Amino acid sequence: MTAPTDTASGAPGAGPAPEPGSAAGGVLGNVFGAPAAPAEPAAGAAAEEAAPEPEPFGLGSSPVRQDALPKALGVYPYAADLWAEGLLWGAVLRSPHPHARIVSVDASAALALPGVHAVVTAADLPSDHGGRAAGAPHGPVIADRPVLAAEVVRHQGEPVAAVAADHPDTARLAAAAVAVEYEVLEPVTDPEKSFHAGPLHPDGNLFRHLPLRFGDPDAVGDVVVEGLYQVGRQDPAPIGAEAGLAVPRPDGGVELHVASTNPHGDRDRAAACLGLEPDRVRLVVTGVPGATADREDLSFQVTLALLALRTGRPVKMALGREDSFHAHAHRHPALLRYRHHADSLGHLVKVEAQILLDGGAYADVSSEALAAAAAFSAGPYVVPHVFVDAWAVRTNNPPAGRMRGEGALQACFAYESQLDKLAAKLGVDPLEIRRRNAMATGDLMPTGQAVTCPAPVGALLDAVAAEPLPPLPVDEPDTEWLLPGGPHGAGDPAAVRRGIGYAVGMVHMLGAEGADEVSTATVRVSGEQATVICAAVDAGQGFATLARQVVQDVLGVTDVWIAPVDTDQPAAGPTARGRQTWVSGGAVEKAALMVRHQLLQPIAANFGMSPELLQIADGKITSYDGVLGMPVSEALEGKELWATAQCRPHPTEPLDDAGQGDAFVSVAFCAMRAVVDVDIELGAVRVVDVTVAQDVGRALNPRQIEARIEAGVTQGVGLALLEELQAEDGRLVNPSFTGYRLPTALDTPEVRIAALLEERDVVASFGAKAVGAAPAVVAPAAVAAAVRAATGRPVTRLPVRPQDAVV
Amino acid sequence: MLPATLEEAVEALAAAPAAVPVAGGTDLMGAVNAGLLRPPALVGLGRISELRGWRYEDGGTAVLGAGLTHARMGRPDFAALIPGLADAARTAGPPQIRNSGTLGGNIATADPAGDTLPVLAALEAAVTLTGPAGSREVPVSHLLTGLDPMRPGELLGWVRVPLLHAPQVYLKATGRSGPARAAASVALVLDPARRAVRCAVGAVAPVPLRPLEAEAWVSTCIDWDGERGIDPAALTAFGEYVAGACVPDPQALADPGGPAPGAGDGPAPAGGPPAAAQRLRRTVAVLARRALGRALK
Repeated sequence: MTAPTDTASGAPGAGPAPEPGSAAGGVLGNVFGAPAAPAEPAAGAAAEEAAPEPEPFGLGSSPVRQDALPKALGVYPYAADLWAEGLLWGAVLRSPHPHARIVSVDASAALALPGVHAVVTAADLPSDHGGRAAGAPHGPVIADRPVLAAEVVRHQGEPVAAVAADHPDTARLAAAAVAVEYEVLEPVTDPEKSFHAGPLHPDGNLFRHLPLRFGDPDAVGDVVVEGLYQVGRQDPAPIGAEAGLAVPRPDGGVELHVASTNPHGDRDRAAACLGLEPDRVRLVVTGVPGATADREDLSFQVTLALLALRTGRPVKMALGREDSFHAHAHRHPALLRYRHHADSLGHLVKVEAQILLDGGAYADVSSEALAAAAAFSAGPYVVPHVFVDAWAVRTNNPPAGRMRGEGALQACFAYESQLDKLAAKLGVDPLEIRRRNAMATGDLMPTGQAVTCPAPVGALLDAVAAEPLPPLPVDEPDTEWLLPGGPHGAGDPAAVRRGIGYAVGMVHMLGAEGADEVSTATVRVSGEQATVICAAVDAGQGFATLARQVVQDVLGVTDVWIAPVDTDQPAAGPTARGRQTWVSGGAVEKAALMVRHQLLQPIAANFGMSPELLQIADGKITSYDGVLGMPVSEALEGKELWATAQCRPHPTEPLDDAGQGDAFVSVAFCAMRAVVDVDIELGAVRVVDVTVAQDVGRALNPRQIEARIEAGVTQGVGLALLEELQAEDGRLVNPSFTGYRLPTALDTPEVRIAALLEERDVVASFGAKAVGAAPAVVAPAAVAAAVRAATGRPVTRLPVRPQDAVV
Repeated sequence: MLPATLEEAVEALAAAPAAVPVAGGTDLMGAVNAGLLRPPALVGLGRISELRGWRYEDGGTAVLGAGLTHARMGRPDFAALIPGLADAARTAGPPQIRNSGTLGGNIATADPAGDTLPVLAALEAAVTLTGPAGSREVPVSHLLTGLDPMRPGELLGWVRVPLLHAPQVYLKATGRSGPARAAASVALVLDPARRAVRCAVGAVAPVPLRPLEAEAWVSTCIDWDGERGIDPAALTAFGEYVAGACVPDPQALADPGGPAPGAGDGPAPAGGPPAAAQRLRRTVAVLARRALGRALK
């Protein structure tokens, strides 16, 4: 099939046709699309070219993001492009020391510079109950992190003061001119030493200790394997760095234009930090460049707002790359010690683990990441006895926080490495040992929670295994073979070994341990146009596209407009943990169904039947008996209908002091096969191919799912081989894109999707599961397994360094 | 300031001594953007079209303009002329960098991991520096080591490279498939007329290092009159020889009192623990072995 090159509308012809979802979309699309579709498909390629591609429509089809074209053309206004008349530029002074006492801050030199309008420090923020400047501590769970450091700095790059000036260079110079006298303290950078070190913060050094006791502690297996695993510090490294604009309001409040992914949460916390009522702070989400973690730290937003309030003028701040590396939270570096017991057939008997997460200087979401790490410490396997002790501790390292698959990723690398070790010890195929232990619906997780959602672990492994392997270079001597080391690199075919590794993993979705998940959405239909008002931020995951599809599906309207997000709308919660499809998507669906009821009821009443007997399909309202057939557009003419609905998934409970409890709403699974080539003399690794099978519940937009999987795999490959934000004695070594190596197109493997298993999760909205995190969780483990297979080296550390892959 | 000829550029620089000359700007503008450098003025060399090409001179020499971009050097016609330099230029970064980064800039920045530097060292190239007092010629190695540094007001105009009409190889170890800085690099050129092998190791020290004894020894192992064959064992030995000469002895590093033998005159990234030096030695040995193997294939 030759796909017509219709790039402007980005129609489904660009993708492979036999996707079940896109086939359905095609059918609907043909009906709703232009009537010019040729009656004779056999009319040949010419006719096909001439026919305009029907617009994809409804759930299961693959429309492109509405902002795809502006983003590709470079005309999309990002947060860094914001502008206001008469604006000032902000700059932040950061601590050069990982741990120090602030003796004094003298801003007089900075204020004396021409063009400087304000310098703010912790003293400008509301003081604590004792009347001392505390820098307005904040945090998503525990408020322990000051906006601007007061008294003590606890990590390098912690903001100490901020400046507003009429030119960005002046602002930077002025920030540098703020004289801060420090009394340097000994930093604690080894998480293992944090337990016994003096408290780095009044709250102590232990964020959380989570013991998990499941089964019989005395159970012993015939075979025992042990391992110690280490995961480095990955950074979300958003290409669009933190940027925003704050505008003071006449009522003494402030309006923040930022690329937040949690508008209401950020608004509430920012208001609290500023000592304002929440309704005097308005947050407008604008120009989100994409996110795989929390977009930005609150300190940035509050500082911006404070400068605007202090100067009475709009203030803009756009962080440079180094600033950006200091500003946002990173992935938790982890140390994991494991002992797996199995019987002689390879059935797992007991898993013992100690997990230590380095939370950095402030709490952020460490306790949540720790819960995931402990709960998924045994992986998607049936294990009758599990004993885990997990700790998250405070150090003077850069703070760790939320990043796709937090907690679950670190554990996945460790338990999958252990399974490979066990397979080698027993002489069993790595795939086979996973199949023997695979979890299924109804099995218990180590937290005592039964997996009630579909858990097609075995089917995922089968799908991955059934996919043919990529050809070996010897089979295709004519094609150019990209060696490890890249084109024109030092690769030598004689020293290249190929390795194949398998991994399967799981990740939870939505907030855990009793987090109240709720979202509100409004759907309004006015004539033929529908509007969705929902404060769920589309950070690249595709919520706006999905909301459009949902409304199209329920109401049969083609033209759906998604309103931009601000905090005047009801809250929809953060864009994280794969929750927006379920929670906000569910709210949009409910609201749309209410509108549909309003639409159908009078029609049904006219015909003397109940509205349940009417259906909307193919743009027509039809009755069960076929008597009625009215185009939706006709029914909607002149009408204005709207409804607001809320979606709140079933509640969860916190894990108790034995790590037991129904803490998770649902879990998603993913299986992967990685094929790598390793230059065993130089230790260069190239991931040739990654084959993925994922449990998606229901593919609502297959192409968007593929994009999510490719993104997750790329991020996982980055962590597995390249990305590590190194810190020496708490100081970042490589806060630049020269030093912090992001995967480029050449480092990225061919990603093949073996299967998107559509076993619907009955309690989830649409039966769909979150798709973004699972591939990122599993890919590092799969790549590590493949490197292990190629080299025979143990590979116990991520990222894999060249010296770990040299034979 | 945008001079159109080298002379104008020299004049412009003489008129504004604090000005910084800029060609591709890939290093300079990065420093400016990072706030590390705030030059009072710039002399843009991009309009000097004579420096963007090359010419031939008698005696089998090519005179390369300092404004040649990496992308231009990577093209096949240039590769037929000086294959080693073309190899280095092709690996010098992503296409955006190769399109603007220049040969002269690479020399002037003198980054330890600069890709063209070991090749120029192995080719024993010389640069022409033009200043208010006229032009002078300086070997690249003298310029890089600071033996004969650039004087104020001087501009790097031309790079004189001998045409050897024999295989040349540039290899670098990066640990990844995408473009990256070299952890170690090896340039190797054959000079059949003089029956010599010349080799330079980059990125392990602040300047490219030449393992002269290893070069002299290995050139005696090559069957110059025949098909330029060599015993595979000699290839391996050459690699070890080069690595031993260019990376300080790990044992000596472990004992800070001991002198570092060989050409290891710089602290190198190997200044860390002995294990790191051991790995670097191994990497250089593999690169040197492969480089000679490819050159003789």
